[in-house]
Amino acid sequence: MQTGGHILNDFNLALKSFKEKTVNIGCLAQQNLESSLQGLFDRNTELCNKVIADDEDVDQLEISIDEDGVMIMSKYRPFASDLRVVVASMKITNIIERISDHAVSIAKRSRKLIRTPELPEVSLIEPIFRHANNMLTNALTAYADGNQELAMEVIAADPELNKLHKKATKQLTKCLEGEAEAHKAYLHLVFISRWLERVGDLAVNIAEDVVYMETATDIRHGGELPE
Amino acid sequence: MVNSSTSQDSHTDPALIHINDLGFSYNQGKTETIKGVSLNCPEKQVTAFIGPSGCGKSTLLRCINRMNDLVETSKITRGSISIMGQDINAPDVDAIELRKQVGMVFQKYNPFPKSIYENVAYGLRIQGIKNKSSLDEAVERALKGAALWDEVKDRLKESALGLSGGQQQRLCIARTTAVRPKVILMDEPCSALDPIATAKVEELITDLRRDFTIVIVTHSMQQASRISDNTAFFYLGELVEYGATDKIFSNPSVQQTEDYISGRFG
Repeated sequence: MQTGGHILNDFNLALKSFKEKTVNIGCLAQQNLESSLQGLFDRNTELCNKVIADDEDVDQLEISIDEDGVMIMSKYRPFASDLRVVVASMKITNIIERISDHAVSIAKRSRKLIRTPELPEVSLIEPIFRHANNMLTNALTAYADGNQELAMEVIAADPELNKLHKKATKQLTKCLEGEAEAHKAYLHLVFISRWLERVGDLAVNIAEDVVYMETATDIRHGGELPE
Repeated sequence: MVNSSTSQDSHTDPALIHINDLGFSYNQGKTETIKGVSLNCPEKQVTAFIGPSGCGKSTLLRCINRMNDLVETSKITRGSISIMGQDINAPDVDAIELRKQVGMVFQKYNPFPKSIYENVAYGLRIQGIKNKSSLDEAVERALKGAALWDEVKDRLKESALGLSGGQQQRLCIARTTAVRPKVILMDEPCSALDPIATAKVEELITDLRRDFTIVIVTHSMQQASRISDNTAFFYLGELVEYGATDKIFSNPSVQQTEDYISGRFG
């Protein structure tokens, strides 16, 4: 969409650095998410602890990106696509920070699960995680590449994730009818499934913001792309 | 201004100014400074002309009140400009009469070397208004309309040249509005003003659009996006894109427009 750089090289550099930071926070948050699930699957408490500690980096980066965004808007008064990049990136950063928070929640629950006997039902989480993580990968790639078609694919993938979550929740709820000792553990898994479903929703939100960034069309809440 | 049997009823047409395939030359038609520009300026809205230096926006502005007639070698090479349905370059149109209906505010404020009162009253006097209370009322109304009354009401007899730059520009606006034109042309009215004076003039323009059709040339994209309803982007004498200001500055249709407003060239 854009041809060449700005006349003000500082503006170019500021925007470039700003976008790179947003990509970085996405990578960090995704890493945390992957580590939290790996910790669950491998029963690795240290990995879960690392996720909780590393969330601080995500929080600090979110603050830094917001500061940069405000600086760019006040100093350079961007218009059109530049303004959309700044606004969308700030919103996406906030979404990513929430994804990292969910990773922390998953890590904390995983730590508790690791202290209890292993449950075969942990395997129910794997397909949900894979699907949600794939959606997140595509959403972040769509942002980095300015790819609205990929963003639309993320949105289209959400119903399948909801199905997987619903199926897993149904099965786990059935397990709650069994031994009372394992109830807490099954509840942890229900929550983990719920948070992964939320990660998918947040990936959709990222995708919607990417579409806005690229097309200036707001497709949230039933909005449609013009033909 | 335009008592012509060919006038169209402006109430059926929301555009007050129609510029149709206009061509203009400063050198008797050898080269065109404005090349086939067509656009309509809606009534009681603010239309901004933006573009890099030398793109023809001020030239086009001066075509609307035929100020370019003062340049001996200037020539309309094609097309027309109509205001309220009347072709302003028709042989039976008097340029002086036109300029009573199409006022102008310039980049450098230029009050007359007279009192504040006389600056505003002057245009009314030469229209034949002699009655003092009518003049007083009109002067007060114009100065209030220019958000200047409170600042000058106790010194109307003092020289206009004693006012600050921002006040002088607002006085020039009051002088223009006093004769109740249909259109006010503004050629970078804030470029010689400090930020606070600029803000006051912008606020004034926002109020004036209730009563007047305004066309403004500005180099400031922020200003154009703040105060105008429609924006026309020019480059090398051509109209590149024209549309609602919100659209032009958020999602222009033409790449060149996007490049200009985002500072990729200019």
